[in-house]
Parts: sequence; structure tokens; C-alpha cells
Amino acid sequence: MTASPTPPGPPGPVPGGAPPPGQGPAPSYAPAARLSPRMLLIDPVRMLPSLFLPLVGVLFVGGFSPPSFGWAAIGVVGSVAYSVIRWATFTYRIVDDRLELTRALVSRSVRTIPLERVRGVDIATPPLHRLLGLAVLRIDTGAHGAGKQEGELDGVTVAEAERLKTVLLRTARARRAATPGAGPEIGPDGPLAAVDAPAAGAGTCVPGEAIGASEAIEAGASAHAAAHREPEVVYARVPRKWLRYGPLSGAYLLTPFALAAGAVGLAFQWGEQLGFGGDAAVSAGRWLWDHPYLLLVAAALLVVAMPLAGVVMYAIFNWDFTLRSRDGYLVAERGLITRRSVSLERRRVRGFEIVEGLAERWAGVARVWAIVTGLGDSQTRGQLLPVVPRAEAGRVTGAAIGVLAAPLRPHPPAARRRRLFRAVAPWAALTAAGALLALATGAGAWWVPTGIAFVLALLGVPLGLDRYRSLGHAYDGTHLSVRSGALRRAQAVVERRAVVGWTLKQTWFQRRAGVLTVIAGVGAGVGGYEAVDVSEADGPAFAAEVTPDWIAPFMR
Amino acid sequence: MSVPLRDPANQVSRRAITLWLLESLFGFVLLVGGSALAATWISGASWSWLPRWIEAGIWWLPAAVAVLMAPFVVIEPFWRYAVHRWELSGDVVYARSGWLSRQWVFVPVSRIQTVDKEQGWFERLLGLATVEIRTASYAGSSSIKGLDYAVAARLAEDLARRAEELRDDAT
Repeated sequence: MTASPTPPGPPGPVPGGAPPPGQGPAPSYAPAARLSPRMLLIDPVRMLPSLFLPLVGVLFVGGFSPPSFGWAAIGVVGSVAYSVIRWATFTYRIVDDRLELTRALVSRSVRTIPLERVRGVDIATPPLHRLLGLAVLRIDTGAHGAGKQEGELDGVTVAEAERLKTVLLRTARARRAATPGAGPEIGPDGPLAAVDAPAAGAGTCVPGEAIGASEAIEAGASAHAAAHREPEVVYARVPRKWLRYGPLSGAYLLTPFALAAGAVGLAFQWGEQLGFGGDAAVSAGRWLWDHPYLLLVAAALLVVAMPLAGVVMYAIFNWDFTLRSRDGYLVAERGLITRRSVSLERRRVRGFEIVEGLAERWAGVARVWAIVTGLGDSQTRGQLLPVVPRAEAGRVTGAAIGVLAAPLRPHPPAARRRRLFRAVAPWAALTAAGALLALATGAGAWWVPTGIAFVLALLGVPLGLDRYRSLGHAYDGTHLSVRSGALRRAQAVVERRAVVGWTLKQTWFQRRAGVLTVIAGVGAGVGGYEAVDVSEADGPAFAAEVTPDWIAPFMR
Repeated sequence: MSVPLRDPANQVSRRAITLWLLESLFGFVLLVGGSALAATWISGASWSWLPRWIEAGIWWLPAAVAVLMAPFVVIEPFWRYAVHRWELSGDVVYARSGWLSRQWVFVPVSRIQTVDKEQGWFERLLGLATVEIRTASYAGSSSIKGLDYAVAARLAEDLARRAEELRDDAT
């Protein structure tokens, strides 16, 4: 889908007047390059786990005899040879306006990625790579479907990765800036959208200027300077003491259990491989069963380990989180062992979502995601901030993306009745059914689930009220916002120009309560953001307030 | 109080009632057949924990399902015909659909990415078609069902052409 009306831009890969900074790149990109040969050290190490069991098996079957050593050697040599051939047959190069990844291992395959489709470039350095000064470069093209058009260069030197990133992003942006079409309202790769870049050069709205407006305020740079060379701004550098908030998000809390389960699984698997047989494991289990207090102690230990493991895992993944802007990209960097850097093109950022769990609200902290058009895997890639105090989240999103300058409007009392009913009624019904059963059968055992259901019904009251308090919607002239949820409260703030349509929904029950749900269709993030249970009068009025031309003609 | 949105101008084809009737009959047969199957299974299983009266009267289940659902088979198509309406004016597609639950969709033509005209098996039989309008978001996408084939063809063509024109203006 290289756009046919590509304008007569500079044919070379680097557009004039935009020399890449830093180390001088090689002037020509045409010759195909290979990954770093240092990868030959990494590949066999990575294959070790998959070789390990077969090798152990061979040694056990054949004993420590010359033939089995021979087989083991063949296995090792074979895998090394495989990685050498794989390395030798994989090349990449940038030709004109595209990146070509050629793999000629069995059959020759060329993956072509048009540079104008490059939306972001991630650089990650897993531990082994870091040891050897290598990095993994991932190219995000925003294609739908996992890995359909993504490119990966696993094992280039860090300097080469930085150089490629600069070249890819710069060329991609220059290409697109010269090709109007990825306009603000056009969403991810719609068939019409991508092809339809008219040659009608400078229209009224050059995409570069569309962001320029918002960027100029923040970075204090002019629109064009912002598009080309913008001073690097650090929006957030998360202090290490905030890592302790990590477990409040619930992330990684189950790590001890996962580790324990993994260990048991491995013990079984290797036990059989190493010849202990299943009997040993079964008798071990039986022995444990006979000493239940040991199981209890183990369970208690696991529970105690939860917050600790949570902090450790969270710290490993979110170590020294920084968010900065560089050359029209928002760059988020984090990680202790694997340092991960994600670049989000600012032109595609349409808003943000602030998420708080119950524990996080109690502690006054929140997480933030960016709402970006055409971002694959947005859950891991789109994260703008890990768990940080709410005020900091507000400050950073305000500086990096935008501010919602209007208070959330509450929803009508009917919404509170509905939230309460939905939180309480199912458990109340179960309580009643359980009580009836218990009375009818006279079996005391029925009272246990009945009691649990009753407690849950009682808890439903504060939960329902809290859900109601979470509800809200707002519009301040440039951004609209909706919020909902109690156990996981999420507030989305989206730019007006990202709205591509509206859906209003009313179930039969909502109609009787005089409320409806308004869904703003947005060509980014999850696609739609809902204002739940708005009054019948306010719902269409809200949509009409945001986009009067689309709704007002149809109002009564 | 009701939703302060006026009715979209155009109704769908009258033959859409037949379409919905066929579809709801199909669903009705599946539902009653399914509950009859379940009844056969339960009466043959003779579980000890099941009270005797349930097992004895299990054949009331499909009968009850049939009696309860039968009115809806007739009501739904006519109700839908009253609700389903559409309109294209001011470069916005405005469509209403549903019966027990309702939904209103507003799609500005300038944001449309694709327009499809589709015909299912029943629709082809009745000379009807569905126009699917897609934007970058599910909540800005709409499908207008039960249109006369000629109307659907013209609408799809108009929308596609107009979307092209508007995009030219916008960029």
C-alpha cells in the first residue's frame, strides 16, 4: 500500500535539511546489512534450554559412552550451525522509502515495510544482549493482527539500533508530512484512508501543524521547529521510592504462586526425565498430605511473599521510568534487566486514560495510558506512567498531552438506583433462594453459601454507590471525558477531533429508568468510550455539544 | 419523557418484516428444539439429586418455552419495522435500530472508511440488502438492514462517492 500519489520528495532516504544527530551514519543505506555477528554467541545460549532435556535424555539412555557423547556433540554442533546459517542468510536494508528484511534460509522471503507506515520504534536490551552491547529493534507499523507487518531486528549493535531508529522515524515522518492523508481524522489503516492521499499538496491543514498547535504550547517551539527539531523535554522521571506503590495495582502479586506452580511442574517433568518416575512425586505429595501444617506454612509463606514479590517484579519492569519528548515522539523508557524504550508518535496521540484500582484510590495513586491511533498491543506499549501519585499523573498528562478544563458532570439519580440494583440484586436473589432451600430441606449446609451471598449483597451497597459516584462525563471545548468503574475506575480524556461517530444505546430497563448510554466512537484506543446511564435529555445534548453539526439537526 | 431525537426520515422496506419473521421463526425453532433436546436428556438421565416432580414434568419445559416465545415471534418483526429508520442528510448518516433495546447511530460521512453492500441468503430471496458503514471505531460504525436492493445500492454508492469528495476537502 505505498501511496500512489507520493509527492516528488527527495529520493534519498534522508530528506534534505534534516541530518541525523549524533554519530555520523553511513552515507549509503543501499547495501544490505547483517545482524551483528555477536548474535552467534547469544543464539546457542538461547537454544540451551531446548537442547538440555534431549541431551540429558541421550546421556541417560546411552549412559556416558562414546556414542552418546557423539549424539550430544551432533546436537550442539547442529544448533550452532543452524544459528550461523540463519545469521548469514538474514539481511536488512533501507531502499528509498522502504525497509526490506530478507530471509533466505529455506526459501527466500522478503518482508517490505514502507517507511511511511512506521509508527514507532522500540529498542529493548535483554540481559545477554546488554552484555554484548546489542539491542533488539522492533518496528511498529500499527498493522492490525498480531505481527502481521511488524519488523524485528534481533541483535544489532546499540549504536546501529539508535542510528536505524533515527533514520526510520525521521524518514517516516518526512514522508508522511509531505503526503497529506494521515490527517487527524483518519484512523488506523482504513482501506480508503491509506490510499486516499490526494496530490493536492498544501491544503488548509498540514498534519505537522495540527500537532504543532498543541506542541507549541507545551514545548514553546514553533510548529515547524516542533515537527523537525524540538528540544528534548523530560516530562517525568519516576523516583525509585514510588516503586513501592507498584503492588497496589495488583500487578505481579500472584508471582509467588506462579513460581511455586512452575517449580512443581518442573519437578514432575524432570523427575520423570531423570528416572525418579511418577511414584516418587506421588509419594512426596502423599507425605505432604499427611503433614497438613507444612502445607499451611507453605501457603502462609506464599501469601507473605505476595507484596514482596510484587514490589520486586514491578521494580524490575518499571525501574527508572522516564517519559520524554524527542523529535515529535513521546519516548517512555523503563526496566532494570531488560531496558525497554517505546516511542509513540505524538501526532497520533489522541488522549489518555487514567486508571485506578480500589487500593490505588485509597493510596491516592494512579496509572496512565496514552490513547493512540493504530497502536498494536497498546496495553504494554501505550503506558505513559506506572503507578504514581494522582497529582503527578495530572501534571504529566497536562504537560505531555492535554488538560481537561471542565469538571465531570454527575449522572441522574436513576443511574444510582440502577448501579445499586445491579450490585445488590443478584446476591440478594441468591440469598433468598439459599434461605428458601435451607428452610425447605432443613439441611444446615445451605446456610453457608446463603451467608456468603448475604454478605456480598451487603457489600453491594457501598460498591453500587461508589460506582455511581465514579460515573461522569465532561466536555471543555477541546477534550471530552468519560469515567466509570469502582474496582477499576478508568477515566478517558479524548480530543474532540478523534471522535468519528456516536452510538446511543438504550435497553428496555434503561428506557423505563429514563436513561441511556452514550458511546463516543474514537479511532484510537479501545475504539469507544462510554458514558453510562446519562439522562435522556443530557445524552444527545452531550453528543451535540461536542459535535453540533452531526447531532443538532436531528434533535427535537 | 423520551429521548429528544426525532425519527430518521426513511423507513426500511416493508419486506424487511418478512425477513425478520423468517429470522425469528428460525430462532424460535432452534430454541424450542434445544429445550426439547434438553428435556429428553434430563428425563433419560434420572439423576438422584433432581426432585421427582421436575423429572416427571420436564416436558412442560419446551411447551412453556414455545408458549412464552410465540407472541414475540410475531411481535418482534412489526416492532422492529416501527423502530428501524435511517436518514442521510447534512453529510451525516443517522440510523435507529432495535426493538426491546434501541440504538441510535450517527456517522459523519467525512469519517467513513468503507461502505459495503451485503446480501444474506434470506435477503437475496426477498430482494433486500444491508448497507455496512465502517469508520475507525466500532461505535462510529453502523449497518442498516432490510433496505430495498435498489435503495441500498444507491445509498452505498452515494456514500462512497461523497466520502471521497469530503476527504479531498478535508486534507
